[in-house]
Amino acid sequence: MTTESVTIKAGSTIRVAPGVLAGIGAFAAVGIYVLVSSVSLGLWTSLGPGAGLFPFAMGALLVAMSAIWLLQELRRPSARGKGVDKGVVISVVASLVILASVMDLLGFQLSMFAFLLYHLKIRGRRAWVPSLIIALAGSVGAFYAFNYGLNVALPVSAFAPLNLIGL
Amino acid sequence: METLNELLGGFATAMTWQNLLFAFLGCLLGTIIGVLPGVGPVAGVALLIPLTLNLDPAGSIIMLCAIFYGTQYGGTITSVLLNTPGEASSAITTIDGYAMTRMGRAGAALTLAAVGSFIGGTIATVGLVAAAKPLGEMGLLVGPPEFFALMVVGISLLVALAGKSMVKALISGALGLLISMVGIDPVAGAPRFTFGIDNLMDGVSFVAVIVGVFGLSEILSFRRNEPTPVVHAPGFRQLFPSRTEWRRSAPAMARGTGVGFGLGLIPGMTGSVSSLLSYATEKRFSRFRHELGKGAVEGVAGPETANNAHANAALIPLFTLGIPASPTIAVLMGAFLQQGLTPGPSLFTEHSEIAWAIIASLFIGNVLLLLLNVPLVGLWTSILRVPTPILTAVILVFMVIGAYTINFSVFDVYVMIGFGLLGLALRNLDVPLAPMVLTLVLGPLMERSLRESLEISQGDFTVFTSRPISAVLIGIGLLIICSPLLKLRKPKALMEDPEA
Repeated sequence: MTTESVTIKAGSTIRVAPGVLAGIGAFAAVGIYVLVSSVSLGLWTSLGPGAGLFPFAMGALLVAMSAIWLLQELRRPSARGKGVDKGVVISVVASLVILASVMDLLGFQLSMFAFLLYHLKIRGRRAWVPSLIIALAGSVGAFYAFNYGLNVALPVSAFAPLNLIGL
Repeated sequence: METLNELLGGFATAMTWQNLLFAFLGCLLGTIIGVLPGVGPVAGVALLIPLTLNLDPAGSIIMLCAIFYGTQYGGTITSVLLNTPGEASSAITTIDGYAMTRMGRAGAALTLAAVGSFIGGTIATVGLVAAAKPLGEMGLLVGPPEFFALMVVGISLLVALAGKSMVKALISGALGLLISMVGIDPVAGAPRFTFGIDNLMDGVSFVAVIVGVFGLSEILSFRRNEPTPVVHAPGFRQLFPSRTEWRRSAPAMARGTGVGFGLGLIPGMTGSVSSLLSYATEKRFSRFRHELGKGAVEGVAGPETANNAHANAALIPLFTLGIPASPTIAVLMGAFLQQGLTPGPSLFTEHSEIAWAIIASLFIGNVLLLLLNVPLVGLWTSILRVPTPILTAVILVFMVIGAYTINFSVFDVYVMIGFGLLGLALRNLDVPLAPMVLTLVLGPLMERSLRESLEISQGDFTVFTSRPISAVLIGIGLLIICSPLLKLRKPKALMEDPEA
């Protein structure tokens, strides 16, 4: 499932992909931030290495490798890979964020049921009956299996009326 | 004799009904993961770690080990029936396995692969039993400097897991180390990179990171409307190989065991290297080498035996030295640490009972997989017919439950989502994920042992070179690190390994 990029021959007129440049920039920025912050943590104490020494080394490594990567890209840019299916990424991430934000409020069963119904019926375009069966099994079924079978407590609703009916 | 007694004690623990159930579930889940194209063993083991966190340490590791070697069996099924490897180490099996399917011998190919895997896995486990005691006794000689030196050897494996670019591998490794440093500093007690968030005081959860980087990013890489494969399972009668097929497979299995076991002991060698070399061995030594590529049983029996022998032999460096030889084993090592067990020389001195129970379970797991795989091949192939939206939804449920139950906090679900996006970005930039998991697991152990050593020696670095074991180990580690660094790229032979 990895997206393989294809290396272009040296001397090609193709420019460095913006995504690659953004990635290199992000790694370099993280490296610089770590370098600066780790100095304040203390690089060396009377007993030996301080809390900042390891992060400092890693920050320096990130910055140095980002610079080398940039040089490599300028010399021989890599072609764009297959990319991502933005629809899949947005729908999965957005639904997960919404699920996480309402799980403590609505409880696991209700929020997971809605989450699964969205992925099966709306996104996956499955028929109603299998969608409902799988959504019920993955929400109510999973809740009871984990709570009572494995003794792992999943969240219940913070709303008293929902809580009273076991959700 | 003492070893045999300890192994028998291990069997007594491994054969309790709970541990047998965990081994069975692990084999079942591992086979399913191996069957599903797209969900690799690293993502699969990472995904299921949270489900084992509430189990006792022995049960948890027994289940995860069973998942790990179960994936090796499962990967064969799609290679043979669909010409699509379920995981990287079964890729070479597609050549002769699929050719056998087209000749109507799919059942025989699957049976020979399962029997070969059983033989390879069992012999490698015998090797683990033999090596455990002498190497485990080293635990008595290991102090912080030696432990640090072992970690240097472990981290040096980054070279072997680098994929196509050493520069990108080092970025990945540095990111893993930085992530592992979030939280309270283990020696001075100062908060590092917590951004004032209370939930980060205990660090970023290893499990949430791994589930996000490997599992969620895999899901995010799925493409809409991917077609569900059409597959026809062989009938029960077709599962029996002919006498000639058995006779021809036996030498291939013997050679595969040797290749897989030998390479499994070398840290950094992945299962796919073993199966590739086993195939090359068959090309060189088999009496029927001219038939390879056209549906020869040797092309299935050899590599399949080799990759399972490799999987079990690769546990030897983990159990005895604490060195994870591959990305999946690094994830497994993370699970050990989550359970309060530190793999390595001290495992057999501090947690001998658990260590031997896990080893005994490897024998049991191999038998279970043989019993599960051959008769139930029809069931496994039916998994391939599950449409992608249903599969995605089910995996997402496991991920959310897994991330939530680490600390019973929604915060870890957000952490998983964040690292899922990071994993997706890294995949798209062709940055290998394996070095990150390696440093994430080994980084904290390495930092702690370095700082403890220097505190003992009052800042004197010669503590690492004045002690013979640590000096030798550091020398080995530095040799491994420095050779490819000079070129800033990897040797070609390992570069193309898809597991890296």
